[in-house]
Amino acid sequence: MKTEAIASAVTIGEPALRSICDAVLKAADGDQAEAVVVARNAALTRFANGAIHQNVVSREADLRIRVVRGKRVAMVTTDRLDPDGIRRATEDASDLARSAPENPTFGGLPGDRGIRAAPSAFVERTADATPTDRARAAKQLCDAARAASLSAAGYVSTNVQELAIANSLGVWAYAPATTSDVELAALGGAGSAFAQRIALDFGALDVAGCAREAVAKATAAQRPRDLPPGTYEVVLEPYAVRDIVSFLGSQLTGLAVEEGRSFVTAKLGQKVTGDVTLVDDPFDAEGLPRSFDLEGQPSERLTLIERGVAKAVVYDSQTAYRTGQKNTGHALPPNPFQPSAPMHLRLEPGTKSRDDLIRESKRAVLVTRFWYTRWVHQLRTIVTGMTRDGTFAIEDGEIAYPVKNFRFTQSYHEALAGTLGIGSDLALLVPGEQFGLQLSSYRVPALRLAAFAFTGATQY
Amino acid sequence: MLGSVERDLARRALDTARTRGATYADVRFVRRAVEDVLVKNAHLENVDRSDTYGFSVRAIADGAWGFAASPVLTADEADRVAALAVEIARASALTKREDARLADVTPVTATYTTPIEIDPWTMRFDERVQLLLDAATAMHKAQPGLRTTRATYEIWKEEKLFLSSEGADIAQTLYETGASIAAESVGNGEQQIRTYPGSGGRSQNTAGWEYALRWDLVGNAPRIADEAVALLTAKQCPQDIRTSVILSSNQLMLQCHESCGHPIELDRALGTEAAFAGTSFLTPDRLGSFRYGSEQVNIAIDSTRKGGLGTFGYDDEGVPASEGWAVKDGIFVGYLMSRETAASLGTGSNGTMRADGWARLPLIRMTNVSVMPGSAGTLEDLIADTDDGIYMDTNRSWSIDDRRLNFQFGTQVGWEIKNGKRTTMLRNPTYTGITPEFWGSCDAVCSESEWVMWGTPNCGKGQPGQVGHTGHGAAPARFRDVRVGVVG
Repeated sequence: MKTEAIASAVTIGEPALRSICDAVLKAADGDQAEAVVVARNAALTRFANGAIHQNVVSREADLRIRVVRGKRVAMVTTDRLDPDGIRRATEDASDLARSAPENPTFGGLPGDRGIRAAPSAFVERTADATPTDRARAAKQLCDAARAASLSAAGYVSTNVQELAIANSLGVWAYAPATTSDVELAALGGAGSAFAQRIALDFGALDVAGCAREAVAKATAAQRPRDLPPGTYEVVLEPYAVRDIVSFLGSQLTGLAVEEGRSFVTAKLGQKVTGDVTLVDDPFDAEGLPRSFDLEGQPSERLTLIERGVAKAVVYDSQTAYRTGQKNTGHALPPNPFQPSAPMHLRLEPGTKSRDDLIRESKRAVLVTRFWYTRWVHQLRTIVTGMTRDGTFAIEDGEIAYPVKNFRFTQSYHEALAGTLGIGSDLALLVPGEQFGLQLSSYRVPALRLAAFAFTGATQY
Repeated sequence: MLGSVERDLARRALDTARTRGATYADVRFVRRAVEDVLVKNAHLENVDRSDTYGFSVRAIADGAWGFAASPVLTADEADRVAALAVEIARASALTKREDARLADVTPVTATYTTPIEIDPWTMRFDERVQLLLDAATAMHKAQPGLRTTRATYEIWKEEKLFLSSEGADIAQTLYETGASIAAESVGNGEQQIRTYPGSGGRSQNTAGWEYALRWDLVGNAPRIADEAVALLTAKQCPQDIRTSVILSSNQLMLQCHESCGHPIELDRALGTEAAFAGTSFLTPDRLGSFRYGSEQVNIAIDSTRKGGLGTFGYDDEGVPASEGWAVKDGIFVGYLMSRETAASLGTGSNGTMRADGWARLPLIRMTNVSVMPGSAGTLEDLIADTDDGIYMDTNRSWSIDDRRLNFQFGTQVGWEIKNGKRTTMLRNPTYTGITPEFWGSCDAVCSESEWVMWGTPNCGKGQPGQVGHTGHGAAPARFRDVRVGVVG
């Protein structure tokens, strides 16, 4: 057996996936049926203490079947994709749909509305990456850290995924995609720093840039000083900004508005933040483009917040049906907690470099990233969390010294109300797997905010 | 249980791995069936049944680790996956600083099945759903103005087969059942939630349907609904004060999970989770001497206790379930370990390696990490013994730093305690502290009668991400001089 044969990320391909979905639609006993296949070959090489300690490849493929009988709906998922497995799962879903109590709020599966082409998100070179390729990249990161007397921890990852969706109303959607990403925490005896890079093309992945950023910042982060908790002006690196955009994005959905827990409930058309613009752009070629959602519906480009004014929220078919709104094509796999989400968020860039933002700050805190952020109060978007991997005091426009990490308790949308500056460069960041897929991406700049409430501190 | 077909493929994969140069290999087959059902606003919103089935090979070659997994159950695929695991291990050796070493374990041939009373998989579907519909109806009947209600259950059956190149052959069948209700209210500029019996998703145990029935969801539904509505106009928790806090049993279990369970994971303490989950303030030099908490604090590591989500026969390295201590009389005395991390301490594994299904690598995971009961009597006894403080019940928010020192938690509801009595309801209660200082301020833990084995089926760890199911027994406990009511 040749090395290439055992290591390559074989894709199933559109014809075979279509055939699996057709078999489901044919066998389903119901008024409507839907078949979704998520196939992926995920490879991740993880290192810590300067050496690879976990190195994994898994080939996975799940078939999710939804069968509808009037107002009765059931879902069954299987990874048995042989004819017998498909038949048994389809029968199981059909039987469940027969015995399930009615859901009067179910609006039926969505029909075929046509799908616009999006830029390709599949790069052959990423699919062809081998364990040795990933190990070499990991070694490059470990060596860079060691050369600066730092310890390296992080990962190198390549992923290939295929998404296929069909339903009995004529929907068919298929998209293959690749991603590669690298993450490095460079750790010294008393301080650490973090950097991340993402690319569709493994050959274009900026491993050296990731190493440079983390190592230089970690070197500067050693021996942090105490700075008393309090409300400070902040400059947030894109890693921290991503967290804010992610939390606010999760509330810019039809369900969050319907359930009364969104900060834009009854405030569409009103000012809710400072002068920032947040869009969801499934066609952004610099992100992870995909032009349809997980129900095979065309995804719209939406401006969610325009210069601080709440303009729109995203919908899936069922929330749109219940609330009498238009389906914007932002469905996640059917689930009762988060049936839709903006999956291609971009906080529009400003005109200042990240160094300009620092230079314009008289006294502020520079935050590399947030950690373990959780809602304290959703309606007010109050979140608590920690700073991590590179927190610094800014004095008179310069990074003055590293400081120990803070706990913050802060309303995210109120923090954006004090936007003083927006970086001109956007970083592409991803949140990790959701529902077994690399579904979402963020493109965000650095931000300078007038006030951020640090409510506690830790010992390092 | 998985049988001869899987066993033959596993043996073939082990042979292939050895032929390719592996000095150690193991193979796991896992078949997992799960049914999740959710009733929202008294209507069946979600029925989701899944059946996943595949295998993985873990190998050491050239002194380094490789892992590969597939759902395709053929001889050719067993060969391919085994060969790939070895190839990945050789690539890992590119950065090797020392050879992987494993603590000894006696290879056994064994079987284990979760003891259950009512097999949920043999019940009729509508029997299970009716419990949720009845509970939801009871919530709406009590409080028609509730914005959202949810009632949910999950049933789970996992069959596992583990074979190793050392000769282990272990077959296990694990059952889990979980259930919960939730009531959400909106108004008065507030959004509030009450859940029962645990927080967030579900409380879950290794058990049959008897676990869903034990909580009397229908009987408790009106109280939960009433409290959710009352919270809209309840008094705001006092802001930024220091006072005594009594934590409910289900809140103490999460406090234990986050501030003891994670920092006693030896992989964290040795730095191998440094980039993601973080490290630990409980470093090996502190083992056996560091004062983690007051003398009232005893925290057990026990994967043998009936019902816990960390209860099994053997872990995913073939190490038997065990009992031990993490904290004894307030002193940090024990880690959660794998064979490899135990070897680095010169000891044996206590069997805590578990993987999230067939496609993921086993990691050190909490088994059942439990705050053991004290002698403070019942919750009402403890409140009666408290002059001034706040009783906080059921988690709403949780956050802790990457060394597990600085934490901040919020609960769904609080009550002022005045002169030994529970008095005014409080909304949005939060508390914060530093782990060893906080546990050091614990001066009372309620007795055995208040002790409950809780389960958290949503513990995240690892890259790629894995969801772990962990058990935590706890009884209400009191902490002195706690910072309460943090606001930004």
